[in-house]
Amino acid sequence: MKEYLNNGRLWRLCLKELRESLRDRRTIITLVLMPILVYPLLSMALQRLIVGGISKAEPEYAFLLGTQDEETAQRVQNLLMEARRVNKIGISSPIKITRSDESTNKSTVPSEDNKNAIAVSADHVGFSIVIVEKVSLASALGDAQIDLAISKLDVESVAFERETFPSYQVQVEFRQGDLRSESAMSELRRALQLLNDNQFESVRQRINARLPAVVQMKANGIGQRLDPAASIAGVIPLVLILMTITGAVYPAIDLTAGERERGTMEALIATPAPRFALLLSKYVAVVVVAILTALANLFATWITLSFGGLGQAIFGKQGFSLWILIQILPLLVIFAAFFSAILLALCSFARSFKEAQAYLIPVMLLSLGPGLVTLMPNVQFTTLLGIVPLVNILLLSRDIMTGQSELAPAFAAVFSTIIYAGATLVVASRLFGAEAATSGSQETWAELLGRPKKTRLLPTIGELAIFLAILFPVFFIASNLGGMLDLRADSAMSFQAVLLVILFMLLPLAFAWYRRLDLATTFRLKSFADPLDSIGMQVARSLGFFVSVLLLSSGLWMVAFESYLLFENWSLASHLSEEERTKLKDTFLLIPFWLVLLTGAVAPAVAEEFFFRGFALSAFRSKEAPFRSVLYTSILFGLFHVIAGNILSVEKLLPTLILGFALGWVAIKTNSLWPCILLHALHNGLVFGMSRIGETELTKWFGADTKHLPMLWLVGGGLSIMAGITLLLVASRQTRTYENIA
Amino acid sequence: MNGTCFPRFPRNDLGMISATNLTKQFNVRGTPLIAVNNLSFQVSDGEVYGLLGPNGAGKTTTLRMVMGLLEPDSGHVEICGMRSDGQTTEMRKHIGLISTNDGVYPWLTVREMLLYFADLYAVDLQVARERLEELARLLDIGRFLDQRCSTLSTGQKQRVTLARGLMHDPPVMLLDEPTRGLDVVGSQTVFRFIDLLKERGKSVLLSTHRLDEAERVCDRFGLLHRGNLQFEGTLEELQKLTGKQHLVDIFIGLISGPVDGEPVDPARMVITTNE
Repeated sequence: MKEYLNNGRLWRLCLKELRESLRDRRTIITLVLMPILVYPLLSMALQRLIVGGISKAEPEYAFLLGTQDEETAQRVQNLLMEARRVNKIGISSPIKITRSDESTNKSTVPSEDNKNAIAVSADHVGFSIVIVEKVSLASALGDAQIDLAISKLDVESVAFERETFPSYQVQVEFRQGDLRSESAMSELRRALQLLNDNQFESVRQRINARLPAVVQMKANGIGQRLDPAASIAGVIPLVLILMTITGAVYPAIDLTAGERERGTMEALIATPAPRFALLLSKYVAVVVVAILTALANLFATWITLSFGGLGQAIFGKQGFSLWILIQILPLLVIFAAFFSAILLALCSFARSFKEAQAYLIPVMLLSLGPGLVTLMPNVQFTTLLGIVPLVNILLLSRDIMTGQSELAPAFAAVFSTIIYAGATLVVASRLFGAEAATSGSQETWAELLGRPKKTRLLPTIGELAIFLAILFPVFFIASNLGGMLDLRADSAMSFQAVLLVILFMLLPLAFAWYRRLDLATTFRLKSFADPLDSIGMQVARSLGFFVSVLLLSSGLWMVAFESYLLFENWSLASHLSEEERTKLKDTFLLIPFWLVLLTGAVAPAVAEEFFFRGFALSAFRSKEAPFRSVLYTSILFGLFHVIAGNILSVEKLLPTLILGFALGWVAIKTNSLWPCILLHALHNGLVFGMSRIGETELTKWFGADTKHLPMLWLVGGGLSIMAGITLLLVASRQTRTYENIA
Repeated sequence: MNGTCFPRFPRNDLGMISATNLTKQFNVRGTPLIAVNNLSFQVSDGEVYGLLGPNGAGKTTTLRMVMGLLEPDSGHVEICGMRSDGQTTEMRKHIGLISTNDGVYPWLTVREMLLYFADLYAVDLQVARERLEELARLLDIGRFLDQRCSTLSTGQKQRVTLARGLMHDPPVMLLDEPTRGLDVVGSQTVFRFIDLLKERGKSVLLSTHRLDEAERVCDRFGLLHRGNLQFEGTLEELQKLTGKQHLVDIFIGLISGPVDGEPVDPARMVITTNE
């Protein structure tokens, strides 16, 4: 593998694939032509559909009331202004009176678009008055030049209690069955009714009526107001993502099934080049084409939204800003990475273009389903949805566009998508070319999913990737479920502990058993003493490891404690009120301490060590040097701790990274899981123990009013860590690792 | 093991290609089918060995096992001292493969394609460039080195394919039905190519069902029928043994009934075995 990663060879392999797809006219067509054609069309369609649906501060149009003469127009205007004053809400803009002959007929006539647009919020309805000349009112109404015709408006003065009041008789004509005209009718009726109500109310007050009103209604809106902008903002990522997919489809087929059709596949897999390198170069090419397509589409969208006026309609005054663009682009890149892997996996399995297309069409249709979900405006982007492929990226893009994105689901979306992409790529590399080598497709699947025939000492990184793709969603859903159950604090802790043991210990064990991995080497279960050593040496080493673990743990918890404080402001607890915090602390104190130790220290230590320092570290070690393996494992360890249920505990990242690195180093040096479990358990136990004691006692001990540990402690901790490291280095000299033996 | 119908002839025991007891069984819709049965042969350097047989005899399966693409159920292959069970990757670097359906990349130039394959075989870039010039001379492809492959004629494509097989200068060359579907000129190019390989001391394993062609170019033959190696030797040895002049007749006699006056059921006929 190495000789394919050096000397720019991998780059040249990628270059070949890129050349192949970019020189192909068909790629260029999807890349350039589609965006140029699709977006203007789409924008036109959207504009027709949407613009009416977007709420505006000022009505863009109003219902048109037609009158025959100036006088009637004035009276209608006065009445409506009065109604508006009584209503106390609505629009401040004046009600215009225009003449139909002042300009061309068209200007007073509602545009074609507006004629059908009736989804108007009642608060924003306006009226505009047109004095119809030249033609009769009836024909103006019939021709839909106006929405209502005020054919008669008489006023008489009525005396009441030594005062005179005007009384109007209004005759209105409207088009039956025409939604717009009928809405105008009911709006007008509502406005005028207000005047009547107002009059009665003032009379009632004047006569000092004790009689209460028949009904006094107060309306409170609950739930969310349907924001049409959100649903439209949902369309754009969907279109972008579908177009990105379209761009990747052709190269994905061409570079895999195409190899077979051209007859180059056999020559390709006969070479010593590792399949993964071959597939990786193809993958890079497909992702690059997908990203280029995404860029072209994003650019086209931006142009369309910026210059079509649609952007401001959807995103408000700032329009589709460059900032949104910058945020959406990486999402598209991640999505392209994920989907390209899926496409490659599917196409690798196909023997011809036709077959590949047959596999891809259902996938494309399937991805439309979740796409449509995101169009529903009231779908919340929860962290749980954050792990659903496709849906997560779509919802995240939508939230970014409407400026409502949150950190936790965003993180879940990005992290899970990357994990899925990795696992899919591993599957793809196994499938790629397998058909050409073996004669039946069953054998490929058997090799991939079935039990291998031979026992192996260490898992591969591919197996880790596949296992992660299983573990992550299951872990995520399960820990969310735990949160939903609304358990008591002690039950919640027990639940979490059981979950950890099942998912991080039993599941990897089962997986390793199924894949015929040597459990002892995969999980470093053998005694850490080298069997080739003399008995005395073995005892000495064991003792050395034990003491050094004690030393390390007595210092490491302080590191965790202090690094946690660095980011404490980011934690969920910091947003709680003092009361809530005290309550939380009290509930914690109610849990018996043995249970805290069992569920918070022992169970996580055993379970997590089995997976992270056992399975994961071994998988990395099968390919990578110790330092890198430890680094990758600790990053994985840190990321898993950041995702806690439905919230994102960023403050945990640094402490767990440090702890993970230390544990990984101990695992490599001692070549055993047991010291790691001990260190992990002691570390957790000490941290919990300290939080158990509580701030007041601690303050008393430290003698200072600070959250930090006293300097003397920290120095002691640092010294004990250094002593631990030294002792471990001495005790582990000249031990042989499983990797060396393997 | 003895008990063979035909006497076995001395071979070069240090063959560059050496297959030992290769057996491969496939499952075709549930029923097991033995594609290759206990097959052993050796090819030494500078020798052209023809693996002959009708369609479905197991030639391609054998070649794939030799190439390390297919894992044999039992037995192993050794190429230049490297074994198929364990050193597959190293082994493949020493093998060149040219087969009937070999295609070219339409959108790459000839040069790009050949250098791509050099990279796949982890050949140093500088070495690859020099080799490319040499092969361009030898196979007369220099004129269109910078042309896209889609613009080439069939004959030109064929020569590019032959050059591709030599970009890593392998000591062992596998030719899978190299002349199938080619006209006289095309076949002639292949024969000249095989001569070139011989000249350079390469071991050539040629699989074909064209017995007349095999007669022309091969030094030794292995006659494969239903996964069994029925006979192995030079043309003269074969002629002497069967009393027939041409490979075609020998072969028909071998697979269709009594040979040497003895009735033979091909299914029972396990002729050559190895210890």
